Amino acid sequence: MKGFVRIALAAALVALPATQAAAGWKLIAAKESVQVAKSKMAVTPNEAWNRGTHRASKKGETWTLDGPSISEVYFAAALLPGETFYKDTDKKNHPLPMMGKNLQLTDIPEFYESSQRIAYSTSVYEVTGIEPMKFLGQDGVKFSYTFALQGNPLQYKGLARATLIKGQLYLISYDAPALSFFDRDRAKAEAIMDSARL
Amino acid sequence: MRFRQLVMMIAAVSVATEPVLAAPAVAPLPKPAAVEIVADESYVPQDQDERGLWMEMEKVERELKISPLVMRDPALNAYIKSVLCKTIGQARCAPVRLYIIRTSEFNATMAPNGMLEVYSGLLLRTRNEAQLAAVLGHEYTHYAQRHSLKLFRDVRSKSASLMWLQMVVGGLLASLMILPSIFKHSRDMEQDADVGGLAFMSKAGYDTREAARIWEQLREEMDATAASRKVKSRKDKDHGMFEDHPPSSERVKYLTEMAAKDPGTPGATGQEAYAANMAPDWGDFADDQIKQNDFGASDYLITSLGKQGWTDWLYFARGELYRRHAAEGDLEKAAGFYGEGIAASPGLPDLWRGRGLVLLKLGRADEGKADLREYLKRAPDASDKAMIAMMAGG
Repeated sequence: MKGFVRIALAAALVALPATQAAAGWKLIAAKESVQVAKSKMAVTPNEAWNRGTHRASKKGETWTLDGPSISEVYFAAALLPGETFYKDTDKKNHPLPMMGKNLQLTDIPEFYESSQRIAYSTSVYEVTGIEPMKFLGQDGVKFSYTFALQGNPLQYKGLARATLIKGQLYLISYDAPALSFFDRDRAKAEAIMDSARL
Repeated sequence: MRFRQLVMMIAAVSVATEPVLAAPAVAPLPKPAAVEIVADESYVPQDQDERGLWMEMEKVERELKISPLVMRDPALNAYIKSVLCKTIGQARCAPVRLYIIRTSEFNATMAPNGMLEVYSGLLLRTRNEAQLAAVLGHEYTHYAQRHSLKLFRDVRSKSASLMWLQMVVGGLLASLMILPSIFKHSRDMEQDADVGGLAFMSKAGYDTREAARIWEQLREEMDATAASRKVKSRKDKDHGMFEDHPPSSERVKYLTEMAAKDPGTPGATGQEAYAANMAPDWGDFADDQIKQNDFGASDYLITSLGKQGWTDWLYFARGELYRRHAAEGDLEKAAGFYGEGIAASPGLPDLWRGRGLVLLKLGRADEGKADLREYLKRAPDASDKAMIAMMAGG
């Protein structure tokens, strides 16, 4: 247990709410094109999705069907060298990796894996497949992964598509529990990825 | 004010070793006293408080039993358990349930009900059996001395005073008056556990100087992290009266003094046995570390292991670290490390993958593509074969 007395002290001293302000969600209508991650990247979902109003980063955005621990689609757009996939929450001790210069497509799964490992505080994470695939009309990379989280008996599966356009990184990923949910919503998430346009 | 939460949290968690936390104490620590080890294999909870703590921990243990983070490899579990048994003796060791947790963090904890968690990040950092024994003996002492229960009772007894003080002098001030004594209690228990751990090491026939080495290594690792991040080292970061562990500099000092008085079996570090048993997993643990985005610490850990003998996976880990870091000159160094790995033992196909990707970035396309083709030849079922084939030119 990490510094349990200090955690307890923080709880004792600081009159903060037990959890951060709950993330808000806004309904996205089906069959309508919508720009995501404060960028020109637009997608058209086949069904209604919930769009998170709390951004995981300046250039990121989260969607879900039933809640992010059940199904999560993450968009990152126009990321530049020196920027991170998510907002740093513990920069002093666990800074997120920054996008490097001269990225190759094979660097993207590594960059995303390291970001997710740190953001989720887990070492149980494996990239299970990497293959070339067109994304946003460009040569891109498609990759799949699995991971598990502390205090959670579920295994998670994920898949992502990404590309680099004029040195900027674009990515859409989909994570869900391997048990039932991943397969249930996979086609819906992939349809969003298929629909992505710049 | 959330003192109830504090009490509940302390009740719900075990006393833990948090080796990373280290800072100068406000007051000099007392001279370590001998620790009486009172637990044995037949021990059961004695009263309502202790039964409550055990129940809480049993709930945690039920979750742990099905956690995907637990490493279930029988050989690794058998080895760690054997070191524990050698350290604390067969009778004490038998009822302990060991859970090896896959996480890059440096930690181990033993809960009041006899559930021992050992993190893989610890197994990457301890260099020999003696160092592992020091940590396991430390944790067992927490358990044997029922430190969680004592801390719980300490908090409860002080909570009444705290509530009264809150009414009189206000919440924050009241906390500042009461809480330091709880932290002091925690620091004292950590020191007792260090004393107990060293006594176990000595009795088991290990070189007790290795206990202090753990903290020296950790301080060196913190320096390495700081140097690469261009910040001040946190090895002497001071949380003052709110520090729950003795400062690492103090631990080095008193453990060194204790080892001089009770050397155990000088030279008996069990380094070879440890390295042989860790070999199948160290590559994975190093991989976890590299992906934590701490270049300085990762390079320090890899080169420290390299001093015990460079292997193909160590060269590979260093190549991966430098390739991902990719600061000026890093790619050339990475290519060199992969090359040394190939020369040492060409059994790891990923050495060619890494070098191939680096050479492509360095503009040496023909050599890079040749390496990538060699990788595909050696790993025809690789999960990234389609991608690498494309980069290798079809």
